[in-house]
Parts: sequence; structure tokens; C-alpha cells
Amino acid sequence: MHRIFILTFLISIFVNNAHAKFPNKNNFQYNKNAIQNQIDQDLEFESYQSTTTIKIHDPYEKINRQIFAINDVFDRYFFEHVAKTYRKTVPNPARKMIRNFLANISLPISALNSFAQGKVDNGLATFSTFLINSTIGCGGLFNVAQSKGISYKFEDLGQTLGFYNIDQGAFIMLPVLGPSTSRDFTGWVVDKAINPLSFNVAEIGGKRTLIDNQFLIATGSLYSIDTRESLIDIIDDIRQDSFDTYATIRFAYLQKRAQEIKK
Amino acid sequence: MRNFFRLLAIAIIALYSVNSFAKEDLELQEVKIFVEEIGNKIINIAGEKNIPEAKIREKIIAEIDRVIDSEWIAKFVLGKNYKNLTDQQKLDFVRLYREFMINTYGPKFKNYNGKKFTVNEVTRQNSFFIAKAEFLPKESDTAIMTDFRVKKKDGKFYVLDFIAEGISLIETQRSEFNATIDQNGVEPFLKNLEQKVKNLKNNKR
Repeated sequence: MHRIFILTFLISIFVNNAHAKFPNKNNFQYNKNAIQNQIDQDLEFESYQSTTTIKIHDPYEKINRQIFAINDVFDRYFFEHVAKTYRKTVPNPARKMIRNFLANISLPISALNSFAQGKVDNGLATFSTFLINSTIGCGGLFNVAQSKGISYKFEDLGQTLGFYNIDQGAFIMLPVLGPSTSRDFTGWVVDKAINPLSFNVAEIGGKRTLIDNQFLIATGSLYSIDTRESLIDIIDDIRQDSFDTYATIRFAYLQKRAQEIKK
Repeated sequence: MRNFFRLLAIAIIALYSVNSFAKEDLELQEVKIFVEEIGNKIINIAGEKNIPEAKIREKIIAEIDRVIDSEWIAKFVLGKNYKNLTDQQKLDFVRLYREFMINTYGPKFKNYNGKKFTVNEVTRQNSFFIAKAEFLPKESDTAIMTDFRVKKKDGKFYVLDFIAEGISLIETQRSEFNATIDQNGVEPFLKNLEQKVKNLKNNKR
């Protein structure tokens, strides 16, 4: 029986030491020599990075940078001013209603993508939000569902493809539209194609117009202005602080998408 | 006697387990307090009345400088390129990066004139802690969710990263710095950094 006790005692000392070793790694790390310190730090950096592994695959970097430069000029001389004027002239509550409305019309596609990923609860929450806001919320101008405690996470086809481990493919910088990847761009095209509000199915049939073209142009333009307005401060900061705006936007985009897929 | 040793063995194991959990819980609690203190201190400084904006800026920069491990971050953001620097370049970079970091991001927190800052959850990830925090601005009911990565060094906690909307500040910088060095080389990068720091200090941005 003494042996059991001694064995337990030894195990407890060993485990205690092992326990002390890992969480307090840094406490004795400084007692090691410089080479060991460097190795430890490298491992630590690696373990830090492994929390969010982002793969940068940018085979068209040269063309992408050229498109980015054109987009940047277009933005600085036109789009930025439109967005800033929009912020200055349209009061915040009105901008919020417009944002709610634009978000609401994209919810059916988001719900479909949630179901496609097997996220039934999120799909139902998204669809309920659409129904409640489209009716009680005056066509989506007010987010009544949120005030009733219903929350959802937006999903698109790019995320659905990512959910099923389809590789993001190459990073691409699209004219006017900005950063994307081949997977996300494919998803975006399909999402637009199956959204009756974006793609006028009835008109193609040659019978009658389901959605007025002017409405489509108006919502498309509003969506662009609203998105740019929401990015005013972020883009201003990036332009001020960044050493390589293209590289910053590329990494931030890839990181955000990876995060959205992971959630 | 046999039962006595058996009981003693169980007691040692139980004590060890309780001790481990208590220690872990205590550390997570300490991180929560550490991050909440930073958030609330910044809110208080940003909300201070009757003092010039330059003073607020100065106070926030001092607070950011106190809580970040700028040396660790500097080495991390330069990644593989750090090892290729000469000893003098390493020293220069760490010094310049600290100045760049606190003078770039410190002033941004002056807008954190908010109502409430709370840490909702702290978890351990490898040798780091992640504190999930929520900041409620004064003129909005929509909370801003941010994560802080924290590390314990020599018995003290330090902030290593600030993650907003899933975007890590230091990982983005790492990617950006390495892309810049790959394109133009180390020397122009260091000169550019020096110029940026000079401009930031003179408020020429």
C-alpha cells in the first residue's frame, strides 16, 4: 500500500510540475539562453498565428494592384465625396431606416444559405426577421424583430461554399466592387442571380415587369452609397496609417471572411 | 492502515485538481479585471471635461503605452524579416514601432467616450488569454464587440492585440509590413516608419 501512496505522490509532483511548466512558461523562459528564448518566441508566434490561419493566394497581384489603384482614384475623386455628402445631409435615423430596408431585402437569400449550411435555427431567425420587418416593420424600414429579441447572422453563398471546405481560390480585386476571392465572387453572382429583387426574371420572360428597373437601380445605388458610408472612418484610417493600403485591405478582407465562415 | 493510505492518495489528487481549477479560474478573473480596468480608464479619460484635447490624447497614449507589450508585438509584426535585421536595425525598429503604435492608435481611443465597457468572457488559447469585451458608445444602443488578446509576462498582464469585427490589428500589420518589405526592402520601410512617426508626433496627419 505504501507503494500506491509513493506512486501517487510522485505522480502528483510530476503533474504539478508539468502544470506549472505550461501556464508559467514565460516565468522561467527568461532564465534560458538567448537561442532558447528565440526558439520559444518563434513557437509562441506560431501558436498565436494558428488561432486564425489566413492563406494569402494572390497570383494576379500585379493586375489586382493596378485595378486597386484605379478604384482608389475613382473613390477619392467621386465615391468618397458622395458617401460623405450622404452622411452630412441625410440624418442618422433616416440612414438607419435605409440600412434596415437594404438589409431586409437580402434576408431571404441569407435564410436559404443558412438552411444550406444546416443552420436551421439561424435560417428560421433570419426568415422570421424578414417576415416581421417586411410587415410590422413597414417594408423593412424598422428592425422590429431585433427589438423583440430575434437576432440572426447573415450568410451568403461564399460562406456556404467555405462552410463545405471549398477553397477560397485566388484573391481578386474587382473593378468598382473591390476585394473578393474567386469563391466569394462566384457566390455573389449566384446570390444575385437567384434573388428576384436583383434579377428581373419576369421581364426576361418578356411578359411583364416584376420589379421596376428604376427600383433596381435605386436600391443598387443606395446599397453602394450606404456601404461606402459605413466604411468612411475605416478607409480614412487605413489611408492614413497604412504602409501598403492594398496589402492591408487584402488581409483584412480575407481575415473577415474567414471569421464569418468560422462562426 | 491500507485505507488510510488510499484515502491520503485520493485526498492528494483531489487537492491537486481543486488547486489547478482554482488557479485557472483566478487567472481568468485577473484578466477580466485587467481588461475592464483599461476600458473603463480610457472611457473616463476620454470623457474628462474642462481639459484640452491634447491633454486627453497625451493621457490615453500614456495608458496605451503602459498596457501593451510593444516589444513582443514589434517582433511579431515583422515576422521572418525581424531575424534578417542587423542588431542596430532591430533596436531602431522596436523603438520606432512602439512610437508608431502608441501615437497611431492611442488618439483613436479618444472617441471612446462611452457609457459602459464590460468583459463578458475570458478564455485561454495556447499561452494567451482572449477577453471578449463589449463597449456601449454614448450616443448609440448598438454595442461594439471587441476582443483583447492578453499575455502574462513576469507576473504582469499585457495587451498584445485588439480584434474588432474579427480583424486582428497585429496580424493585419504583420501581413502589411511583410508585403511592404517584400516589395521595397527593409531600408525604405524603416525610413518610411521613421517619417510616419515624425509626422504623427507633429500631428501632421
